[in-house]
Amino acid sequence: MTAEERIVKLQRYISTMPALPVTVTKVLEIANNPKTSPVDLNKVISLDPVLMARVLKLINSAYYGVSGKVNSLVRAIIMLGINTVKNLALSSSVITTLGTKSNFQALDPQAFWRHSLGVGVTAKFLARKRSVDPSKLEEYFIAGILHGIGKIPMNNIMSEDYVEAMGIADRQKMPLHQAERRVFGFDHTYVGTMIGEAWKLGNSILDTIKYQLRPVEYEGQYSDIVNTVHAAVYSVTVAEIGFSGDRYPERASDHALNALGLDESYLDDVEDEVEEEIQKAEVFLRL
Amino acid sequence: MKLTLWGVRGSIPVPGQSTVKYGGNTACLEIRYGPENKLLIMDAGSGIKPLGDKLMKEDLPKGPIRAKLFLSHTHWDHIIGFPFFTPIFIPGTELDVYSPINYEERSVEEIIGIQLSYQYFPVRQSELAARITYHSLKEDTLDLGDGMVIRTKFLNHPVSTLGYRFEYEGKSICTVYDHEPFRNVFPSDPDHEDYDPAAAEEGQRVADEENARIRQFFTGADVVIHDTQYTLDEYNQKFTGWGHSSFEYAIKAGHQGRVKQLYFFHHDPLRTDDQLEELVENYRRRIAGKTSMRIGLAREGVEIEV
Repeated sequence: MTAEERIVKLQRYISTMPALPVTVTKVLEIANNPKTSPVDLNKVISLDPVLMARVLKLINSAYYGVSGKVNSLVRAIIMLGINTVKNLALSSSVITTLGTKSNFQALDPQAFWRHSLGVGVTAKFLARKRSVDPSKLEEYFIAGILHGIGKIPMNNIMSEDYVEAMGIADRQKMPLHQAERRVFGFDHTYVGTMIGEAWKLGNSILDTIKYQLRPVEYEGQYSDIVNTVHAAVYSVTVAEIGFSGDRYPERASDHALNALGLDESYLDDVEDEVEEEIQKAEVFLRL
Repeated sequence: MKLTLWGVRGSIPVPGQSTVKYGGNTACLEIRYGPENKLLIMDAGSGIKPLGDKLMKEDLPKGPIRAKLFLSHTHWDHIIGFPFFTPIFIPGTELDVYSPINYEERSVEEIIGIQLSYQYFPVRQSELAARITYHSLKEDTLDLGDGMVIRTKFLNHPVSTLGYRFEYEGKSICTVYDHEPFRNVFPSDPDHEDYDPAAAEEGQRVADEENARIRQFFTGADVVIHDTQYTLDEYNQKFTGWGHSSFEYAIKAGHQGRVKQLYFFHHDPLRTDDQLEELVENYRRRIAGKTSMRIGLAREGVEIEV
């Protein structure tokens, strides 16, 4: 299959991409409960990158003049209404339960979920530590949890190729994105960008997905978020919080760390806080 | 423009002695405009049945019926009359149906057409003689090219729901139903176990912003047809979150939006004619001298020149 053929196939799959199997039980429980609180709904959606992206897609594509601007689940829940968001969650999760077994043959879904959530929590933690405006913290979290969304369709429908890419990365001790490019002809940030554009995700999210591996090339207005998520991905990967297929990541870019005013000791602070947040999420999801 | 109200009731048709004056049919409005007397219809509640009968008698003899039907949303009371709208069975009828987008990505045709299936109705959708074209709508501006411009705005109801603003020759008619004022659904009490200050603050800001956008949407309108299913007491005590407004909210928002004429609409099915009149008299007394806005009850069969 050529790179172009793969892209066409992935593009087709994106519109029906299911929520993660990790969150599905809790999503169904919450979405099926007629008395669900908006707090629980917000919590469960914010723990699933696919579901979160779908909610943002809906609001950004339907409302006049907000295209690509809504980066907040609180806003989405109030504007779309609890009922609509619940039904959206339900329909995304039903697809998952039908397809769970065959999905995620390469990446372990729970480990991937822990990694994604870890990056979201770390990005928010780093931002808070650097006294970023509290009203912006959710945006850091969302950009963090969504950074690796491009891996999901690659892994779900081209899992043999993804196993091969992970094998090459392991054997040759190279970063996974390089192995992805060798096997697929493009990497997960390319697929993530396709999702971000098709789903009209906010510019800060889209730019983060696109430039997470090469923040030095980024010239837009969200460099603080892009740099923060870049640093968060590195710290979560080396701390082995979850697993997203990358055993030999490149070191975090000095450019990004300098821009954030961080030195490598930031890695030491992150782990406890992140583990605690993930444990809370696991209790909530009853994993 | 000439606006005719064919159905003003909420939830379910309620024929009977206690509703005979203001009417028991559910939502349907007819708007006529321009030298060709073009036809726009808002909603296909049970009120669309008598409208269809009138079209058959008065319009069809002059030529095929052409109309655009705009749906506020697809809850039963707003589509229930569709299979009984006789023009859809007449060859030559051309009907464009517009409905808010659906999160499930099911088509408008499927959602409306489900009523015209074997189990529910003797005629199937594929057997209809009219040419019907379905369109999905978001927040948008539609310029019909003949002077009529229609703007849409999402409202707050438990399914995607659009308000419409019809503008023609400097006059405007605006529909704001079914709609409940946006509110912060996240806990704002610091003692609440789920209190999150960022969410509480964001939630309040979003609700305020959206309510302001809706006011902006109908600002200066000549006629606003507003959801007023409940009184404020009923809303506060029992019906918060049901997706409908109170008379009090509609009056306040309409006044702030410098609306000229506000019609109370989507009457609760249990509300009798006498109760409706008592309510509106009471509100008139309360706002007397405080606003230039006129208020009144939407009443089936009434024609309004705008």
